[in-house]
Amino acid sequence: MIDEPYRWVEAIANRREYIENELAPGSPTIGISFSGGILLLTFGQDRRKIFEIYDRIAMGAIGHPGDIERLRMTALEVASMEGFTRSAADVSLRRMATNAFSPALKQAFEQIYGAPYLARILFAEMGDSAESDLFVRLDYDGTMHANSMSAGKRRESFSVIAGTRRGLEAAERILSGAKATGLKTALEIAIKAWGAGLHAAGQDAVEPPEEMALKEYIGSRLDEYTVEAALLDRESAGSHTAFMDVPQADLDAVLAKFR
Amino acid sequence: MDESNATSQITGDFLAVLKQRRLISEVPASFANRSEFKETVATTILGFKFGGGVLVAGDRRATAGNVVMYDRADKVLEIDNRSVMAFAGSPATASEMARILEHSFKFYRRSQLQEMSVEGKLRALSKLLRDNLGMVMQGVGVVVPLFATSDKKSPDPTKLFFYDAMGAQFEATDFASSGSGAPAVRSVLYYEQNWGRKPLRERAREDSILLALKALDTAAEADTATGGIDRHGKIYPIIKIVTESGVETVPSDKIADLYAAHVA
Repeated sequence: MIDEPYRWVEAIANRREYIENELAPGSPTIGISFSGGILLLTFGQDRRKIFEIYDRIAMGAIGHPGDIERLRMTALEVASMEGFTRSAADVSLRRMATNAFSPALKQAFEQIYGAPYLARILFAEMGDSAESDLFVRLDYDGTMHANSMSAGKRRESFSVIAGTRRGLEAAERILSGAKATGLKTALEIAIKAWGAGLHAAGQDAVEPPEEMALKEYIGSRLDEYTVEAALLDRESAGSHTAFMDVPQADLDAVLAKFR
Repeated sequence: MDESNATSQITGDFLAVLKQRRLISEVPASFANRSEFKETVATTILGFKFGGGVLVAGDRRATAGNVVMYDRADKVLEIDNRSVMAFAGSPATASEMARILEHSFKFYRRSQLQEMSVEGKLRALSKLLRDNLGMVMQGVGVVVPLFATSDKKSPDPTKLFFYDAMGAQFEATDFASSGSGAPAVRSVLYYEQNWGRKPLRERAREDSILLALKALDTAAEADTATGGIDRHGKIYPIIKIVTESGVETVPSDKIADLYAAHVA
């Protein structure tokens, strides 16, 4: 029955609709690259969503915790195996995403008798300078978007994953209009982009809120959500500990502007 | 005549035929049982507790029999941002052990989202040593390490451990040493601890660096496998300090200055 071509297409379409509905309420995760490193920021309610993968690679995710955990462990294993058998310099996000993740996600999505991954992930890889930072966004069906993989495309210094397409676009609009000069400004931009993304997801209106309205909206969400922010620190890129949580004092200082 | 004679002698296996026809040369017995084989080994290392934490030092020489293989060997290795492993013995095995430790601690932290406990780290090294025992019994790859780390939960937050080749783990109260120069180093440290100006734990940083240099120099005096200090080649021991907050490497030029000012 399901092996008839039409049924298969229908099954895939149903499955896509189901996954999109599941992911829609997800809180956006923002990645911003600046001279000091890469900031990953999201707001959560009860669990961690930003993780260290390797010396220069971090990951953020939206979706089912079980699926996120499976994907996280796969990423950890792929990166660690390469880093152990060869060297840390041979671990490449570009290769990991294209060779390991994209085909596996696509296969799980299209094998309609098996369960797909209910997850959307954002990988960040820190380069030697902000110009060589790489962001890769992977969807449940294996689709991949990178900030720099196609020739001629302008390299963006940010990336976002959000529950809905509208949320993604709203966050990107904020990010493309701002330039982070340091951790403080990066935090502020990321919080605004997160707010815009979450706001758009729950609205029918396409227009983003005014500056003041956005601040108010974010302020009103702060009781419900707790901020989670991690940094890939370019200064300590040579050591084993480039990934670190953003100090609470820095977060509090920026969050105070929204309260 | 000669040919028929040779044919008549063929009674054994194919290898015997090849040998008889001189198509392969005899393998010398001494090479076959490896008695000529000289393994590369790295030697003297030491660690002791001083006022600012634990100091771990090692000379730079690696030897194979009478040959100096390398005079810039690094036997004091940073495993993570709070642990140091120093080794005497086979660099081939030891650097592989250090690599395994480094990766397993990192993997644990990343997968479990918490740092591995100090006990866990010590057991990991112990297990690697025991797994290596088969090789040691065959006469190669022996490693006798020191391990220094910081343990924030302990009232004595910086710790020093030494091991035997089988993986038994011992905690050092004041000092430990390993390698061919260890007897001399041990004597120097024992003397300084008990009859020196003050106990090791009360000494300041520079004083402790100087003591490490003197101990390694003393070891090199009678032991050819210990490199000591080569001022002409500007080769100084590697010295790392484990404090409560992490691991620091004492820069080579700082050691050179101290040595010039106080020792030579």
